Amino acid sequence: MTLAKALPRVSRALAFVPALVAAVSLFALMLMTFADVVLRSALDAPLPWATEMTRILMAVSIFSAMPALSASGRHIAVDLTDPLFGPWATRIRELLVNVGCGALLLWPAERAVVLARRSLSYGDVTEYLRIPQYWPEIFIALACYVAGAALIARGFLALLAPRALSAAEPEGGLG
Amino acid sequence: MTAALVGFAVVLALVLVRVPIAFAMGIVGTIGYFVETERWTGTISMVSRLILDTAQDYGLSVVPLFILMGLFVNKGGLSRELYQVSYAFLGHLKGGLAMATILACGLFSAICGSSLATAATMSKVAMPQMRRYGYDDRLSTASIAAGGTLGILIPPSVILVIYGLMTETSIGALFIAGIVPGLMGILFYLGAVRFTVARNPASGPAGERTPWPARGRALAAVWAVLLLFFLVIGGLYGALDVWPLYLTFSPTEAAGMGATGAFLIALARGTLDVRGLFEVLRDTATTSAGLFAVLIGAAVFSNFVNVAGLPDALLALVQAYAISPYAVLLGVLLVYVALGCVFESLSMLLLTVPIFFPLVVSLGFDPVWFGIVVVVVVEISLITPPVGLNVFILKGVVGDVSTGTIFRGVTPFWAADILRLAILVLVPGLVMFLPNTMGP
Repeated sequence: MTLAKALPRVSRALAFVPALVAAVSLFALMLMTFADVVLRSALDAPLPWATEMTRILMAVSIFSAMPALSASGRHIAVDLTDPLFGPWATRIRELLVNVGCGALLLWPAERAVVLARRSLSYGDVTEYLRIPQYWPEIFIALACYVAGAALIARGFLALLAPRALSAAEPEGGLG
Repeated sequence: MTAALVGFAVVLALVLVRVPIAFAMGIVGTIGYFVETERWTGTISMVSRLILDTAQDYGLSVVPLFILMGLFVNKGGLSRELYQVSYAFLGHLKGGLAMATILACGLFSAICGSSLATAATMSKVAMPQMRRYGYDDRLSTASIAAGGTLGILIPPSVILVIYGLMTETSIGALFIAGIVPGLMGILFYLGAVRFTVARNPASGPAGERTPWPARGRALAAVWAVLLLFFLVIGGLYGALDVWPLYLTFSPTEAAGMGATGAFLIALARGTLDVRGLFEVLRDTATTSAGLFAVLIGAAVFSNFVNVAGLPDALLALVQAYAISPYAVLLGVLLVYVALGCVFESLSMLLLTVPIFFPLVVSLGFDPVWFGIVVVVVVEISLITPPVGLNVFILKGVVGDVSTGTIFRGVTPFWAADILRLAILVLVPGLVMFLPNTMGP
């Protein structure tokens, strides 16, 4: 099997689980917000933990999608100067931009791990459900690592196997 | 101040070589902050803290939920019915299909907070109809591109939410303030269509007249959209805090209720299966992730701009030279129009509001009014060459029309926008009337 055929399958398989996590947490966030409002209005019994769960579910949903967003090159960018770059210049530009951005993302990711561990050592927990603050923070940090690695991989693929890369990209852009 | 201006120029340069906007702002912000503070660990900690805090910011949860609402509405096929009801009332006039497109865009904007989504959705519905009646491509594409811009002004609007969160301005007040300028936008665009067909009647022939009973049926078919709009805006503004409902929402709750309502509508209409649901949720998460990346990058850049003292330096400059507030405002608006040639709407807003907002407010302008004026300028940038994102979205969906054709067609609409902007600047009461009289 050629790389151009294998890469779309591999990328779809790798993207499925994080996409499912993102979808489930977003759906849960929507239903929980609805339930909170209805319970508060109808029975005067709001969900006291709704605010902290909103924060956690949103973080999980957004940062589950971040690696796939980076890997597929769908970060918001301006393509005004694209016609000025020939095929090889495009490859080199994609290498520099993606590897540069990916490598630079690893620094704050590393520091976020330190901050998450600090939360753990301080025993920071959410107010009602007493969920350790460490969990969402370490999840975000790890997602940043994966997103950084995805960007670096994308940069090298753009240089070495651009056809395989474009075959693996989903249609359409960021809406 | 010099460091911040150099930083601004470097962001622009990086964006032009296709560095993602989030990273361009983040990289320059990080390096600039380090240069200003000379503390590397502190700088990286600041960036990491911003990532962790932005991802868990309760106020921002409104962003994915409003995007979700728009995508569910889209999935529910409501855009077609909105177009049909608009056509029923306007289609028999000269240029009537283009007018119906504008009106349908305005109605769709009332349940969708994104201009790009409005333009993309309406182009699929309206373009085939206008082609069938032999409309000039210039008029048909321009009416969709211009009508689509209404998405970020007519509430609910994701851009207004983000402006409100950044500047600690009431989101409810911003939404209400957006209504009159949004309606003005619809009326002025209808005027632009009339102007186009008056100059060239063949560009927009009249459609068939719809009898009154059919108009009634078309109107009845969109009750769900109207209900959803009143649920979201009414709940947000306390209009539903009456017996037996007693419903008042925070912006996040309004977005959650709107998304659930749109989900139920799509479900009831049988347009949503498990796969479709998964796709809507996944696309919402991906789009939101892109916006959050820009939000984080902009927050890093904003911290750099603040430690570099740019807002204070600008204010001192204005005071030292005794420049009149309206001259400053004109300068700010010109910067927005110029930046609109390169940046997309959200990035432009995030990049500039931390710089201009303190200046404009200290000169005595109202934060709500300034937010609306900025969004109107951003709307204009969506149809201004050479970037005009709505034009490119349309080009992507329609395919066989050149961007030059669309830009030529859009000129009367662009002029209508400039006229509307001038009126809103000269008569701030048009924006402030509703928030002042309906204030909670």
